[in-house]
Amino acid sequence: MSVTLKRFMAGATVLTVTALALVGCSSSPSASSTSTAAPKLDKLTVMAPYLSTDAPTADNEVGQTLNKILGTDLEVNWVPNSSYGDKTNITLAGNDIPDAMVIQGKDAGFVKNANAGAFWDLTNYLKDYPNLVSSTPAVQQASSVNGKVYGIYRPRDTMRTAVIIRKDWLKKLGLSMPKTTDDLYKIAKAFTEDDPDGDGKKDTYGLIVPKWPGSVGSNSPWDAIESWYGAGNVWTQQNGKLVQSFTTPQWKKALAYEKKIVSNGYINPDYATMDSVTWNTPFLNGQGGIIIDTYSRVRQITSLMEKTDPTTYQNMIAWTGNLEGPDGKMHALPTSGYSGFIAIPKSSVKTEAQLRQVLSVLNKLNSKQAQILINNGIEGKNYNLVDGRAQAINPPTPESTLMQNTVNSYAQLGISVGGNKFYLPAQPNAYDQTQYDAQLKTAASDLKSAVYNPAAAYVSNTYVLNGATLDNIISDARIKYDAGQIDDAGLDAALKQWATSGGTQVTAEINKLYKADKNK
Amino acid sequence: MSTPTVTQDAPIAELVAEAEFAKIGKRKSRHNRLWARMVRYRWLYLLLVPGVVYFALFKYAPMYGAIIAFKDYVPFLGIGGSQWVGLAQFEQFFNNPDFFRLLGNTLILALLSLVIAFPVTIFMALMLNEMRMMVLKRTVQTLIYIPHFLAWTVVASLTYLLFSQGAGPLFSFFNGVFGTHVDFLTDPAWFRPLIVLQDIWKNTGWGTIIFLAALAAVDQEQYEAAVIDGAGRFQRVWHVTLPSIRPTIVVMLILQMGQILNTGFEQIYLMTNSLNRQVADVFDTYVYFVGITQGAYSYSTAVGLFKAVIGVVLILGANWLAKRFNQDGIF
Repeated sequence: MSVTLKRFMAGATVLTVTALALVGCSSSPSASSTSTAAPKLDKLTVMAPYLSTDAPTADNEVGQTLNKILGTDLEVNWVPNSSYGDKTNITLAGNDIPDAMVIQGKDAGFVKNANAGAFWDLTNYLKDYPNLVSSTPAVQQASSVNGKVYGIYRPRDTMRTAVIIRKDWLKKLGLSMPKTTDDLYKIAKAFTEDDPDGDGKKDTYGLIVPKWPGSVGSNSPWDAIESWYGAGNVWTQQNGKLVQSFTTPQWKKALAYEKKIVSNGYINPDYATMDSVTWNTPFLNGQGGIIIDTYSRVRQITSLMEKTDPTTYQNMIAWTGNLEGPDGKMHALPTSGYSGFIAIPKSSVKTEAQLRQVLSVLNKLNSKQAQILINNGIEGKNYNLVDGRAQAINPPTPESTLMQNTVNSYAQLGISVGGNKFYLPAQPNAYDQTQYDAQLKTAASDLKSAVYNPAAAYVSNTYVLNGATLDNIISDARIKYDAGQIDDAGLDAALKQWATSGGTQVTAEINKLYKADKNK
Repeated sequence: MSTPTVTQDAPIAELVAEAEFAKIGKRKSRHNRLWARMVRYRWLYLLLVPGVVYFALFKYAPMYGAIIAFKDYVPFLGIGGSQWVGLAQFEQFFNNPDFFRLLGNTLILALLSLVIAFPVTIFMALMLNEMRMMVLKRTVQTLIYIPHFLAWTVVASLTYLLFSQGAGPLFSFFNGVFGTHVDFLTDPAWFRPLIVLQDIWKNTGWGTIIFLAALAAVDQEQYEAAVIDGAGRFQRVWHVTLPSIRPTIVVMLILQMGQILNTGFEQIYLMTNSLNRQVADVFDTYVYFVGITQGAYSYSTAVGLFKAVIGVVLILGANWLAKRFNQDGIF
C-alpha cells in the first residue's frame, strides 16, 4: 500500500504550490478578529517587502525616529521580496492581517481579493489628507481598479526609456547620436558591417536584446520601438474606441522595422534565448553596440566600465532618450509611473474611524520629515547634505552601510504621491553628476510627449482570467515574425487566434469600462 | 521510506498467524483480534507511528486544499469562504483551445523518455555489468552519476552555452560539419531531442543504480551453466541476464508510468522561449503559468488534480497489465 500511496502523492504534490502552501490557513477571515467594538488602534502594523539580504532589525534607529514623527508605533512585518506575492495571499487568507500592506501590483490575485471586498476603497477619503493627494492624478487613476482607488501608489520615475550606444564606435565610424528610428537603423547597420572595433573582422552587431521575461506591453526594447512608431502603449485610441496597440497599422510597420534589423543580422543572434541577466556583457565586451532600456542601465554600465578602465570609460558610452518615429513625431514610452501601492485590508481595519486613523498616520508618513528619513536616512549617520543633495558617507563605515540597508528597506514604504520632498542623491563624481542631471532633463522633456496607456485603470474580467495567455500569443508571434518563422499571413493568423481566444471580449469589456469612466 | 519496509513485513507475517488464529476460534470479534494483534506486536506498530504521522501531516492534510479545484478560490475569502463552482474549472480546462496541444506535448515528451531514456538506462547498466576491469567500471559509474547532482538550471545553462547561436561550440560544430544553419535552442523541431538528451545525460547514471543492484543478484551458476552450453556473451545477456532482471524492469516501468504526466517543470520552463513554445508548453509549465502568473489558483489546482488522477490510472493500469502477463506487480 505504501508504494501506491507514494505514487499517488507524487502526483498530488503537483496540485500546485498554492494548495500545499495553504494548509492551515483555512479558517475564514471573519473568524479572525478580537471582535470587541473596534477600539482605537494602539499601533500600526504594516507588511512590506525588503530587497536587501537582511531585514531591518527590530528597534533600529530609522524605525524609532519614524515612530516619533508619526506619533504612533509603526510595526513593520518585513517579507523577502522574492516570496512577497505568495505571502500576500497567505496573509489575506490567514488570521494575522496587518493594518496596511504593500501590494506589489494590480495582478489577478489582487483584483480578485479587492473585488471580494478585502480592501478599503479609498477614492473618496484621500482628498482629506493633504500629503496623500496625488500631484499626477493620471498615475493614481492608472493604479486604480476601474476608477476605484484601493491603495496609495508608490511613485516611480515615469520616464526612463533610454537608448545606450557605444560612443567610441560612433566616433570611429563618424556617426552622430540617433534622433529617429531611421538613424538607429543606420547605426545598427554600420555597427554590424563597418567594423566599428577596427579589428578587420566582421564580429560585431548593432542592437543587443535579451529574451524578455514579460510579454507585450512590458517595456521591452520591442515595446519601445513599437511605441516610437506610434502604435501606442498597450492600448491606444482609434475613432473614439480603445484598441490594443498590436492591432494598429503602426504596430505592423514597427514589426517590419524590427524584422529588417533581425533578418539582416544587426542584432545579437541569440536575441530569443539570451538571459537578460547577461544583457550588459556583449556591450562591455565590444560585441554589440546598442541597448534600448533605461537610465538605470546607463548608470550600471557606466560604473562597470569605470571599474575596468577608470581613465577612458567616459569615451565609451553615450545615451539618449526616446527616438522620433517615421512620422517625424516623438511618441515616448513611459512606465506605469508606480510600483504597487499600500492598501488597507478591511479585516484588520474594521471601522471608518480606524481607517481615518490609519490614513492620518500614512499622511504623516508622507510628510517631508518622514520622506527624508525613509528615503535618505539620518544626516551625518549614512549621508551628508551637500548643496541640497544627499551624499553617501564616503568611505562607508559598517554603521553607515547598515543604516543605508535599513533605509533602502524603509524606502519601500515611500508613497510620495504629492511629489518627492526628499533629497536627490549626489553622484560619486563630477562626470556621473553631469550625466545624472542631463538624464533628469531629457526625461522631463520626453515626458511631454509621453504616450500613456489609456486603459491602465480598467480591469477586464476576461483579461484577468486569460490575459497572460493572450499576451503570449502576441509576443510569441512578434518574435516568430522577426525571426522569419512566420510571414504576414502568419502574423494575421496569430492576431485572429488572439481575437477568438478572448481578445475580442477583452476589447469589448475594456471599451465598456472606458465609456462608463467619468474621469477619462 | 525505511519505516514502511519494516512495517510491511510485520503485517505479512502477521497475516499468516492471523489465518491460523482465525481457524482456532471465531468467538472473538474482529475488533478484539486486531487489538490483541496490536498489543502483541506493539513495538512494531510503534515503528509505524512516525511514518503514519508524516503521511497524515504532510501528504494527506494538504489534500484538503485540493477542494479549491471545485471552488472559485479567492485568498481573502479563504478555502471555506470561496464559492463552490462544481466542475466549472475542469470544463474550462477541457474546453481550452490549448488542451490538446498541452496533452500532446506532454504525452510526446513522456513517451520519448519512456521509449528512449528508459531503455538507455538498462542498456547502460548491462554494459557496466559486463565490464571486467573493476577500476574502470567504478570510475565510469561515478562519472555518469555526477550530472544527477546538478540542478536543472545548471544543465540548462550548459546547454545554452554549448548550443547558443553564434558562440556555442556545438552549434558551430554541427552546423559546420553538416553545412546547415540550425538554431538548436529556438528551432521547434530540436526542442524534444534536446530535452531527451538532457534527460539522458542527467539521469541515466543515477537510474542504473537499481538495475546494477538487480544484476548483482543474478545467480552466477546460471552463467556457468550457460557457458557450458556454449552460450556466447550476447546470448548470456539475452537469455540469462535480462530474464533475471525482468521483475525489476517491470516494477521500474510501472513506477515510471505514474510519472508520465510529470514532465518536469524546471527543465522545460528553462528551455522554453517564444520560438519553441508551441511544442514546449506542457501541463507543468501551464500550471505555473496560469496558477502563479495569472493567479488562477482554482483552475491550476484542477489541472494538477487531473494530472494526479491520470497518474493513478496509469499506475493501476500498468500494474494490472503486468499481472496479466504473469509478472510481479507492485501491489
